[in-house]
Amino acid sequence: MGPEEGCEAEAVDSFCPSDEDVDKWMSSAFHMAREALETGEVPVGCLMVYKDEVVGKGRNEVNETKNATRHAEMVALDQVLDWCRRSSLDVRSVCEQTVLYVTVEPCIMCAAALRLLNIPVVAYGCSNERFGGCGSVLDVSSAHLPQTGTKFKCVSGHRAEEAVEMLKTFYKQENPNAPKPKTRKD
Amino acid sequence: MEPQMKRWKGSACDADSWVAYPVLSDEQSQDVELIEAFAAPIVNKKETSQLVRELNSLYPLNGLQHIKRVRARKEKGSPHPLEVLVCLVSDAPDMKVVSVDSLLPGVKPDGLGEPFVVKVPARAPLTRPQFELASQHWPTSFHEDKQVTVALRGELFSPPQKAVMHMYMMSAVTAAKAGRELGMEAVGAVVVDPAMERIVAVGHDCRGDHPLHHAVMVCIDLVARSQGGGCYCFDSYPACQFTPPTSNMFQNGPDLEAGSQPYICTGYDLYVTREPCVMCAMALVHSRIGRVFYGTGSADGAFGTKFKIHAQKDLNHRFEVYKGVLSKQCEDLSSLNDHIKKDSGQ
Repeated sequence: MGPEEGCEAEAVDSFCPSDEDVDKWMSSAFHMAREALETGEVPVGCLMVYKDEVVGKGRNEVNETKNATRHAEMVALDQVLDWCRRSSLDVRSVCEQTVLYVTVEPCIMCAAALRLLNIPVVAYGCSNERFGGCGSVLDVSSAHLPQTGTKFKCVSGHRAEEAVEMLKTFYKQENPNAPKPKTRKD
Repeated sequence: MEPQMKRWKGSACDADSWVAYPVLSDEQSQDVELIEAFAAPIVNKKETSQLVRELNSLYPLNGLQHIKRVRARKEKGSPHPLEVLVCLVSDAPDMKVVSVDSLLPGVKPDGLGEPFVVKVPARAPLTRPQFELASQHWPTSFHEDKQVTVALRGELFSPPQKAVMHMYMMSAVTAAKAGRELGMEAVGAVVVDPAMERIVAVGHDCRGDHPLHHAVMVCIDLVARSQGGGCYCFDSYPACQFTPPTSNMFQNGPDLEAGSQPYICTGYDLYVTREPCVMCAMALVHSRIGRVFYGTGSADGAFGTKFKIHAQKDLNHRFEVYKGVLSKQCEDLSSLNDHIKKDSGQ
C-alpha cells in the first residue's frame, strides 16, 4: 500500500507527522504497552496527539467493562471527544489534525471508528493478522466507504518485531474470561 | 417491555408481509465459474467402466471431484448415448489438431468418438441454485446443506417463529422512532436471548451526542451493563434499556458455575432495523453474537452490501445473518433519515 494512497480529504495531504514525531510518540506508545504487559494486561499502547499534545490515551478495557468493543483505540477516541468538550473545540476540526500512535495495527472495528471520526493518519508497529483493519484482514483504512467518514493514511512497521514479541509473551498466558475455545477443523 | 410484547403477540399475521433471506458468503452466492474440457462420445457402452478407469489414471481430475466423469446425452435416440470427460483443455498435450490419438496415446482409440470441447463447473456447488446452474453444463455432485436450501427459499422460519421475530424487530422500530424524536438517526436495535425468549437490551442511535454511539454499539454496552459491566450511562434515553438476568437464572444451583454465566453476546441474537456499518459489524464479531437479523440494507453495510464480515474466512467468529425482517417498516425509517439529511442541508 503506497503511503500517499488513502487520503480523501484535502486537509490530509498537507497533514503528516514528521519522522521525529513518529519516533517520539511511538516510543511513548511502546512504553505504555510495556507497562501493560508487566501488569498482565494486553500489551497495546495507544495515544492520540493533537498539536504536540496527548489528547487521548487508552488501554484495553474489555475485561473490566464486559464490553468487547473497549479496545485501547476506542477508549482513546472517547478521551479525545471529552478533551474537545472540555476545551470547547469542534470535534471534527480537532480530529482532522490528530494522529493515532499505536503499537499494533487497529482492528476492523477500530479502523472504521477512526474513519468515522476523520482521523487522518495512523502510525502503528506490527500488523494484526487476526483482526487487522488496515490491510491484514480487510483494508478499511482505504476502502471506498463514502458513508463511513474519511480514509486515513497508515505509517506502519515502526518497531514491529518488538510489538509482536510483547503480544506473543502475553498470549502465552491464557485469558481466564474467555470461554473454552472450540477446536477448529481447518 | 412486557406490555409491548403482549401487544405484538396478537398480530402474528403481520409477519406474512416480509420474508427473511440469508446473507451468504461470496463463495455461496457467486455465479458458477466454468472451465473448458474435452469430452468424447463412448462408442461402445460396454467399455465404459474400462475407459473410465484408464482415463482416471491418465487424467485424474484433481480438485474437480465434484465433476461426474460420464454423462448421458440429453437428446434421445443418439447412436452414442454416453459421453465421457477426457481431460481439461489446460491439461491436454499441446497439439494442432485434437484427436483421440493425441489425447490418449497408447489407449485403444476405437472406444471413443471424436473429442469436442465442453464447459464444466470449476468448483463444487455450495447451494441448490449453484447446483442447478452447474448441472446445466455438466453433471455435478452436490452435498446439500438443507438448511441453506430452505433459507434461500425464504422458508427457514415457521409462522410462530416469524411472529416472535416480528415482535422483536417491532421493538427495534419503536426504539428507532424514539431516537428520531430526540434528533438521532432513526435506527433501533434489540438484543435477545433466544433460549429464554427474553429481550436483554433495546437501544437506538445516539450519534447526535457521541459520533460512535450507533444503535448496535449502544446495545452492546447495554448488554455489558446487564452483566454488571458497561462503560456508558444511557439513562437520559428512556428507550435505551437493558434487562438484568432474571432471578431464576441464578436459582439453578449447579448452573451457577462460570460456564453458564452470560459472556458478552454469546448465544444472543441481534435485531437491527438497518444493516450495520463496518464498525458495528466487527463489534458484533468481537462480542460473539449468535445471529443477526436486519430489516433493510445500507450503503456502506458490512453484512452483505460492502463486506460480509460475518462470513469472513480469516476471522475467528462466524455467524448467520438474515435480512428482510420487517423490511417495509425498516425502509420507512430510512426515509425519516433522508428527511434529516435534507433538513440539515447535507
